[in-house]
Amino acid sequence: MKKWITLLLCAGLTVFSLAGCGKAEEGKSASGLSGELNLYTWDGMFPQEILRGFEEETGVRINFSHFDYDEDMLAKLEETQGGDYDLVIADDYIIEVVIQEGLAQKLDTARLENYGNLNPVFMSQFYDPQNEYTVPYGAGIPLIMYDPALTDVEIKGYGDLWNPALSDNVAITANYRVINGITLKALGKSMNTEDLATIQKAGDKLLELAPNIRVINDSNTQDYLISGEVAAAFLYSSQVSAALTARDDLELVYPEEGLGFGIMAGFIPSKAPNADAAYAFIDYINRPENAAACFEYIGYYCTNKAAEEHISEEMQQMIVLPETVTEGEIVQNISQEAEDLHAEIWNTFKTACD
Amino acid sequence: MRSAVKKGKSNWLLLLPMYIFTILFVALPILYMFLLSFLSRAEVWGVDFTFTLENYKRILEPLYLGTFAESLKLAFLSTGLIVLIGYPYGYFMAKMNAVWKKRMMLLIMIPFLTSALIRLYGWIIVFRSNGVLDKILMGLHITDKPLKLLYSYPAVVVGMVYSLLPFMILAVYSSAEKLDFSLVEASRDLGASSLKAFWTISLPLTLPGLLSGIVLTFIPSMGLFFIADILGGNKIVLVGSVIHEQLTKGRNQPFAAALSAVLMILTSLMIRLYKKLTGSAELEGLM
Repeated sequence: MKKWITLLLCAGLTVFSLAGCGKAEEGKSASGLSGELNLYTWDGMFPQEILRGFEEETGVRINFSHFDYDEDMLAKLEETQGGDYDLVIADDYIIEVVIQEGLAQKLDTARLENYGNLNPVFMSQFYDPQNEYTVPYGAGIPLIMYDPALTDVEIKGYGDLWNPALSDNVAITANYRVINGITLKALGKSMNTEDLATIQKAGDKLLELAPNIRVINDSNTQDYLISGEVAAAFLYSSQVSAALTARDDLELVYPEEGLGFGIMAGFIPSKAPNADAAYAFIDYINRPENAAACFEYIGYYCTNKAAEEHISEEMQQMIVLPETVTEGEIVQNISQEAEDLHAEIWNTFKTACD
Repeated sequence: MRSAVKKGKSNWLLLLPMYIFTILFVALPILYMFLLSFLSRAEVWGVDFTFTLENYKRILEPLYLGTFAESLKLAFLSTGLIVLIGYPYGYFMAKMNAVWKKRMMLLIMIPFLTSALIRLYGWIIVFRSNGVLDKILMGLHITDKPLKLLYSYPAVVVGMVYSLLPFMILAVYSSAEKLDFSLVEASRDLGASSLKAFWTISLPLTLPGLLSGIVLTFIPSMGLFFIADILGGNKIVLVGSVIHEQLTKGRNQPFAAALSAVLMILTSLMIRLYKKLTGSAELEGLM
């Protein structure tokens, strides 16, 4: 009897839990005329005044739902088969998957008055080479920063991080595709090479960096620099902004070997219930003044050329791309073997750091 | 606490919520994990439903075996130190009078009111360059420049011992409290030295507490990778960190599942060993 009940329960619960998955909790605007914009991105991607300004101007109510990881967003979109959300902003590599799976719809750029304001440096990238589906919204560029008071080494590029004078004095982020990527760049190779021998060569080179590594961390990497725990750090854009805000005596380096970009972009899901509102919103945030307000708020590189002059003096250095930078490489999805080799190199490296 | 729920005759309806809970949150996830560990990773995204043993084969590579060895080493080292500190602490606490017992207990429990993460950040303040410890050492002229204490192996061990010590103390305490000290007195009356009395009376009688303390500290210490991340600066690679990384950045769920499965089997072996040694299925102290 007991077994019976357990079995039944098991079956019942499985069905029940699967059925539960199908329903999205948010954004059930029934018709396209409901006057709701279902916006789906990370928390804190828009200042409150921009969201409110859009609502007041258009009468469209914004229904903001957020995710922590790109992967969650993809899972949600797969579940709703491209429905439920009108505008999604996410990272480059995941958008490639979204487009491949047919979960995004083509944009009619003629409907976007401010399309011309966008900075072409951040467009036509691997995930959307013809700019058919996406509009960039902010870019991250991991850079090197150092404290001239703590080291005599004048850092110009990734290669200088290997300098023995920086022994046990460097902090780096924990994304292995990025760290292995800059090692490849230091060797003059592409971050996205699938040639296993080249990747292995970079792995050997990375091992030589181990004695210089003091700490590996993805979050708040700037703190080690600010507190003087390390002399040099390789960190993400938002962390660069934070470090410069706290201490303006730190040196910022655009590595001479070339830059790695991470681009965030917006797209309209294939079955968006209210695509019209999404077009209106994309246009609204790309007005120069509005875009400036947005990028000052999120602290990422401004992807709107026309907005640059509206950005305040003290933020210029942090979020406006210098004229000299004309391109950057983006970490892309690569073959499984190459990806696995990167993971292995990374773990070998971390073990060697200890 | 132990016999609050009698086995057997109770009304199954009353147990129903427990069954539902166990099936939904324990059995199904474990089943899912084991299934996942035999699948392969899809080329770009997600999981392919083809059976493979590749994930388990990959664990046998020296790199991943090394992380298991590293985890075991850290767990043994921390557990050893915890025994050295926790056993006497719990033992002597049980010998105190009622008022002091309460006070000591309170002192152990208070830190539990804040999150483990926040308590670890406290250690960062102590260990970091020009932090509390550095200032004290330099103030006493023992060192002349800031030491690099944080992000080192000893810092991780301190964090582990600090986080898990209470489990050992409570386990030993609950065992030692049941110990009839008149037995120790009797042995002393009959001429045993204090060391001999401890060795032949106290230790064997508190052994269940000590062993369950070891289980309660050793098993979590296999998985507490965030301590190694926070205090070790991510430089000590434990199984937990590899699993975390494979799930997120590596996007290789099946491999992460296989690693978890092996970790789970390792820890259940520990519990089996405990049962064998003590002949009891229950852990002294907390369960």
